[in-house]
Amino acid sequence: MLAAAFSRPEIDYHAFAPEIVLVGALLLILVVDLLFEDRARWATSTLAGLGLLGALVPILTLAVDGGDRSMFGGAYVVDNFALVLKALFLIGGYLTVLISTDYIGEGDYYEGEYYFMLLSSLLGMLVIASARDLISIFIALETLSIPAYLLAGWRKRDLKGNEASLKYYLLGVFASGVMLYGMSLIFGVTHSTVLTVIGERLAGGGASVPIVTVGILFVIIGFAFKVSAVPFHAWAPDTYEGAPTPITAYLSVASKAAGFVALLSLVFIAFEGRSDVWQPLFWVLSALTMTVGNVIALRQTNVIRLLAYSSVAQAGYMLAPFAVAGHTGVNQAVESVVTYLLVYLAMNIGAFAVVMAVARKTRSGELSSFGGLFEYAPGLTVLTSIFFFALAGIPPLGGWYAKLVIFRTLLDQPTVWSVVLAVLVGVNSAIGLYYYASVARETWMRPVPDEDRTPISVPSSLAAAIGLCAIATLAIGVVPQIVARFAHLAPFGS
Amino acid sequence: MSDFLQAYLTVAVFGGTAGLLIAGVLGLGRLIRPSRPNPDKLTTYESGVDPVGSGFSQSQVRYYIFALLFVLFDVEAVFIFPWAVGLETYSYFGLVEMGIFVFILVLGLVYAWRKGVLRWV
Amino acid sequence: MLLNQFLLLGAVLFCIGVYGVLARKNGVLVLMSIELILNSVNINLVAFGMMGGDAAAITGQVFALFVITVAAAEVGVGLAIVLLIYRNRTTVDLDEVDLMKG
Repeated sequence: MLAAAFSRPEIDYHAFAPEIVLVGALLLILVVDLLFEDRARWATSTLAGLGLLGALVPILTLAVDGGDRSMFGGAYVVDNFALVLKALFLIGGYLTVLISTDYIGEGDYYEGEYYFMLLSSLLGMLVIASARDLISIFIALETLSIPAYLLAGWRKRDLKGNEASLKYYLLGVFASGVMLYGMSLIFGVTHSTVLTVIGERLAGGGASVPIVTVGILFVIIGFAFKVSAVPFHAWAPDTYEGAPTPITAYLSVASKAAGFVALLSLVFIAFEGRSDVWQPLFWVLSALTMTVGNVIALRQTNVIRLLAYSSVAQAGYMLAPFAVAGHTGVNQAVESVVTYLLVYLAMNIGAFAVVMAVARKTRSGELSSFGGLFEYAPGLTVLTSIFFFALAGIPPLGGWYAKLVIFRTLLDQPTVWSVVLAVLVGVNSAIGLYYYASVARETWMRPVPDEDRTPISVPSSLAAAIGLCAIATLAIGVVPQIVARFAHLAPFGS
Repeated sequence: MSDFLQAYLTVAVFGGTAGLLIAGVLGLGRLIRPSRPNPDKLTTYESGVDPVGSGFSQSQVRYYIFALLFVLFDVEAVFIFPWAVGLETYSYFGLVEMGIFVFILVLGLVYAWRKGVLRWV
Repeated sequence: MLLNQFLLLGAVLFCIGVYGVLARKNGVLVLMSIELILNSVNINLVAFGMMGGDAAAITGQVFALFVITVAAAEVGVGLAIVLLIYRNRTTVDLDEVDLMKG
């Protein structure tokens, strides 16, 4: 009964090239680590970096080639949206490798496995950007999450590291369980897992049963955990504090971006016809997330926890376009979320990188340990100010353009609800400015806490990461057309 | 009453009989047996030896690692069975695809072997 | 008629699993509750698939196979994390793992 005629699927190897390069690189790292053991530990980070840059090459050739490529009955699509986001993930991964190199090498952790896990997680992200099918979205999400659970607990003997890993794991797995249950309900009503087909059948009106509402709610709640939206954010600050700092940067940028990418394709392709269900939900999530994130961030005395709550709040800004997408149209919402993600990548990884550089000397993440940074490390002080003011959204640094795009989307076709949300974004930006500025004030004006003024030696790869992020943040702020052009390409292809 | 519920009625009667039987036998035992409570009867070993340590003892961790490896590789076989049934229709394409899948799995096994997890210590 | 029984079973299993995750303190029991959630999803997928014709039946079963394998991987990782915590602090009681308060 079940035997269907087998026809060999057409596989477009060019479209798969980035994933194939990445799989090759990560298997190579595993083999090199096994064969050479201690003699080649240093090589694994170089290999990981090269693998990520190598995977960027086919993305460029695919972009030059143009055109949408669709495989497996529409389950796997390589369009401009996917390409822009794959490039974002690979660059984010490369920056993570750069800031990890010395941290992991000096910390006496397992190096080969570290880069293997990091690249596996990135592989999941590459797939999720192209996934247009419930099964492939689920598999990609797990491929990126399972290595991330282990990376969060990489400091095996550190109790905080254990706790970070456990909390992230339990809530992450619980969230995927809830999301899967929602997916099973949606599959039950539409009898398909391909997003475009689900979209047609849900919009057709024949499927207005309550079970669809429950399914959509469960799927969105599952992803709300992944992007750490309030009230599903409880794991984020603890995990961010206990995980190794490069992984914190990675989780707060790349992993969150992957959650948003899956949300974009699910909500705007599969659930587009049911904006009556998801629009109010996103409004509440967005308003709660930015307000709660910012208010708690005000009280933090540890810079890593401050950045953790700030990243919760930033997720709130990114959720805002979803809440109005039913009025303004899908394309504008996708464009503004992608813009925000691109800008956020540069400034947030930069902020974590400077915190890491300072912590190399002070061995602490406390806000007070940043006191008087200007007296012994003026360069780092300027860079710290650049990244934190960019996160606050001060022109001419990158963050202002991202906020502007969100405002423009909210106020394009004003309804009462979208105006209220825009006001909330404004108020929250002001709160954000207060605590971002408090970090800057500490570095410029306060005395050095322990009178130790030895300059900080920043290793070259960490310096390269900071430099790249700083250039990107400044360039986006001064010439926002760079991101605007990429984000404009982004909306879904056929 | 529909056929469906009638089918379940059998189950209910069966379950009810089982419950009654257990209750009856236990109740009968309770009626007949003498009841003389004694603190010695509550100790773990009535022979008189006191237990040492807590009831929760650690088992050998090596069992855990073997069990974990077994579960992982066993579950991957779930993909191989449907493939094996249809191997003739998939022809060389299927063979190569499964070869890649098994190759990656074998790398995992080699990793476990090189890390000394498979050695019985 | 037949579909409802399976969905009911799935929903009950899902609720037991969610209750277990929220109420249990022992790390291993929480992992078992998560397995219950994933199995309720499998029941749903296979049951819905059988109602939707041949193509949907295969899709549902393939989806269930993927859920099974991913669940095995997740539990492997989860047990490793719980074991690590047990080694470092000789407890699997989740309420005692609270160095940091969200």
